[in-house]
Amino acid sequence: MKAVGARLPRYDAMGHVTGTTQFVDDVRVPRMLWAKMLRSPHHHAAITRMDTSRAEAMPGVRAVITWEDVPLLTYGHLEALGIPADEPLLAKDEVRYKGQPIALVAAEDVDTAMAGVDAIDIEYSERPALFDVRKAFDSDSAQIHPWGNWYPHFEGEMDRRKIRKGDIDEAFEQADKIISGVYRPAAIEHVPVETQVCLAVPESDGRLTIYSCTQALYFTMGVIAAHLQVPLNKLKVVGGTVGGGFGGKVDTASDTVSALAAMKAGRPVKWRWTREEEFLASSTRAPWHMEIIDAVTDNGWILGRKMLTLHDSGAYARFSPYGVTKHSFHHTGAYTIPNLHFDGYVVFTNRVPTTAMRGFGVTSISFAVETHMSRVANELGMDPYEVRLLNANRINDTSPNRIRYTDPSTVDVLQSLAGAEGVQLEGAYAGMTRDPRSGDLLPDHLVGQLKTEGH
Amino acid sequence: MRIEVNGAGHNVTSPPLASLLTVLREEMDVTSVKAGCESGGCGACTVLIDGQPRRSCLTPVVTAVGSEVTTVEGLGTPDSPSAIQQSFIHHYAMQCGFCTPGLVVAATAYVNGGGSDDLDSVAEAISGHVCRCTGYNKILEAVAAAVKSSEFDLSSTAVDKNTVVIKTGGAV
Ligand code: FES
Ligand code: FES
Repeated sequence: MKAVGARLPRYDAMGHVTGTTQFVDDVRVPRMLWAKMLRSPHHHAAITRMDTSRAEAMPGVRAVITWEDVPLLTYGHLEALGIPADEPLLAKDEVRYKGQPIALVAAEDVDTAMAGVDAIDIEYSERPALFDVRKAFDSDSAQIHPWGNWYPHFEGEMDRRKIRKGDIDEAFEQADKIISGVYRPAAIEHVPVETQVCLAVPESDGRLTIYSCTQALYFTMGVIAAHLQVPLNKLKVVGGTVGGGFGGKVDTASDTVSALAAMKAGRPVKWRWTREEEFLASSTRAPWHMEIIDAVTDNGWILGRKMLTLHDSGAYARFSPYGVTKHSFHHTGAYTIPNLHFDGYVVFTNRVPTTAMRGFGVTSISFAVETHMSRVANELGMDPYEVRLLNANRINDTSPNRIRYTDPSTVDVLQSLAGAEGVQLEGAYAGMTRDPRSGDLLPDHLVGQLKTEGH
Repeated sequence: MRIEVNGAGHNVTSPPLASLLTVLREEMDVTSVKAGCESGGCGACTVLIDGQPRRSCLTPVVTAVGSEVTTVEGLGTPDSPSAIQQSFIHHYAMQCGFCTPGLVVAATAYVNGGGSDDLDSVAEAISGHVCRCTGYNKILEAVAAAVKSSEFDLSSTAVDKNTVVIKTGGAV
């Protein structure tokens, strides 16, 4: 037991402080080309004409990659889990967000690559764009996605993630008060100090070595192999040193196109995004629109919750269905509410596709739930700790998706927070534990919470 | 055009207005100098020019001719790390490490210039550096400690004196 309880030095610290840690951009290989991307200048448009011949003919340009070069153009990040594909690696007939990649130019140096990008002749026909997730959900909104404005493939063919638990109508009939709130956290860019970067090296044995800043190496390997339609043993992906990710380097942003360019040029290709590209076109944490309506009693019990969540997926689905599923499991936060009616949608807009960021799907709901708990306490004129402690998860309570909690820490955490804040809890609340409910803490509405009646 | 980097001379082949960052990284393979933004915003490319911290991405290489350029490689090595490098390790002042070379360089200028161990003035000195991972506190502590001490225990990291200890009756 040398490690438990000990403060160990970081294994990589000496490399970091002496500048000897090798990040992707620091890998050196001979005859390397630099790549630059033509990105959509429009939020939503049809591509009416594209001609890369002038760029291809430029001295110093070694490869131009468009959708025509991609063996499998559209591959979903979660296709292996049954979530179908909707996003082309490079745009073909249309673009759905500003900054969407269209064509990559690999050249002898950065300036030539940039000049090559500028020499691509392209014309667009602009279309109306949608930026607000709530407006995109209106039935008279412009349609921006072939699937409609929200994702239709939960469990195969459901257009939302649904949770139905207990008897929501009875909960609202028994309520003394109905307390509602709408919560809308905005998008957040991860801002890793290392921007997206890849170095793809074609080897003489026909394999590709790919130096990747990915946070999810094997996942990245699968995505590249699928787009390229090559077996995994043709790829050697080197990762492990990530200059900040926070979820934003789970998507395979730069590796696949770099690999295609390296294959086409027969030379190593590095593609390093500028900070501007990172802000414009890298994925963000999603904006969310969350409506909560609670059925509560005057003495602080939450009998039931109706909730509508609209998750802004941006232009394509990527991991969003997974994020909304996690979100749905957590939509009561650290509290037990036995009667639930939850609908969560993955809604498309003309924003950059959104993705994982620290607590994917859960931070949004934690923000909404905790704000709402304080709102409930305010409207009832109760102490916010007491409302939380009453409804806090305890052993044998069940989650929205009917997982039995075997050792929930909510009560202890709340008591610690009160202590840290210098709040004196009333005797009954100070003495609460996580033990199974009994007596006053097992009111009628919670007796049957393990029953799975409903829809 | 010839520049001096970490005590060695180098004949520059890039044009005079190329950034010092590009020359260091792409011509000289001095890769500790990071391209975080290439527009002066993040501090990851910081080097010392005649002892002063400068953003190499905003420095045309021609302006460094006749000056002494120092990068983090010139401050210490894994075999012989400087006090500030040791302090960063000891205080756990990094996570991904991408911002770290720039911060070590800036901290060196601060400490060598007689900076105090007051956390507010350390914060002022490193305020041009973006670190997305650490939340800065441990970096401030590492720099402040290096003002007072020149040797640190690298076999363990320091207990963070700012850690909030929550007193509780129950088990947490
Ligand atoms: S790269 Fe020079 S300040 Fe960011
Ligand atoms: S340690 Fe990652 S940015 Fe500072």
